[in-house]
Amino acid sequence: MTSSSSPSRKALSKIACNRLQKELSEWQVNPPTGFKHKVTDNLQKWIIEVTGAPGTLYANETYKLQVDFPEHYPMESPQATFLISFFGIYIFVIFVPPAPLHPHIYSNGHICLDILYDSWSPAMTVSSVCISILSMLSSSPEKQRPADNDRYVKNCKNGRSPKETRWWFHDDKA
Amino acid sequence: MEKGESTSTSYSDTNGSNEPDHDFECNICFELAQDPIVTLCGHLFCWPCLYRWLHHHSHSQECPVCKALVQDDKLVPLYGRGKNQTDPRTKRYPGMRIPNRPAGQRPETASPPPQQPQNDAASNFFNYGIGLMGGFMPMATTRIGNFSFGVGGLLPSLFNFQFHGFPDAALYGTAPGYPFGGYHNGFRGVPGGNNEPTAPGGGHPSDAALKNILIVVGICVFFFLLL
Ligand SMILES: [Zn+2]
Ligand SMILES: [Zn+2]
Repeated sequence: MTSSSSPSRKALSKIACNRLQKELSEWQVNPPTGFKHKVTDNLQKWIIEVTGAPGTLYANETYKLQVDFPEHYPMESPQATFLISFFGIYIFVIFVPPAPLHPHIYSNGHICLDILYDSWSPAMTVSSVCISILSMLSSSPEKQRPADNDRYVKNCKNGRSPKETRWWFHDDKA
Repeated sequence: MEKGESTSTSYSDTNGSNEPDHDFECNICFELAQDPIVTLCGHLFCWPCLYRWLHHHSHSQECPVCKALVQDDKLVPLYGRGKNQTDPRTKRYPGMRIPNRPAGQRPETASPPPQQPQNDAASNFFNYGIGLMGGFMPMATTRIGNFSFGVGGLLPSLFNFQFHGFPDAALYGTAPGYPFGGYHNGFRGVPGGNNEPTAPGGGHPSDAALKNILIVVGICVFFFLLL
């Protein structure tokens, strides 16, 4: 069981479907800078390519993001459905390993970014999340893993209680 | 690839490249807002979308767009011309009871404006004219308010004014010891309008001629002012 495998999830609700179609068509007209999304027939899972911004530590490096949408996107709050028995946390955007070396990105691809969890708002979009992730990459002072990377990744593999692997959002509040 | 293309075209037919008008789209479902409701911070949502987010998913009572505090009693519904009764969106959140949309808070009915003269160009002109002529504008104004015909009505009232005014002016001339009373009478005569009794009648044989002269003068003044 790896983080990038899709556990059985309910299909998108009608509202989620409509909204994702709108987001997709807006993305096609006006994609966020630095991102490429190859449209597939799977609306519920997007694979997005991100290229590090010029002049940053990740310039010219390319990574893959996997975005999985829950049944009730955009309502579903962080603690809702997807992977709940696995992490106890709702995750819908991860890096497909190898993930960039970054103080807020775990080696299994999980991203420690508050808007993906407690600070999610249904007014946000895939596009705005992508922009936040790129800006997080761009502002990184050094290429390294989070201090708790090994413990966190091990807990994920063991399917430990989410309380023990509770996300903490490092220093992003400043 | 073929598949991808077909899906991408079917997706884009809703808005496509010609920029659609997003102004009235709900900030949660991105559809045209149904049972639209606006927060104090001005953000528009479907009522079911906002209710569902605030009461079933969010940990805080904040606007999804700007994080401003959202209070149920400060929400403002938007009432357009559409049907207000049916609520199809509620059914799209199955298994969830969504209460009625908050009603608008209606301030008391505005008090009717004070009685006003007709605001058309003719009466404006007339007020101006009378004001120039005799300083009787307030009286003339109330009179004009009762006249529903335009310029045509101006001449008779002008006529009445002169008709009633003149004998008093004569009185003023012939009885210097009683100037104010005479003037006052004439003044009172103006709003009396077509009331014949206030007219002093045909006691003086020269009245008719004087009347005619004054009518002509009045008409001349009127047309002068018109020009
Ligand atoms: Zn909505
Ligand atoms: Zn707001």
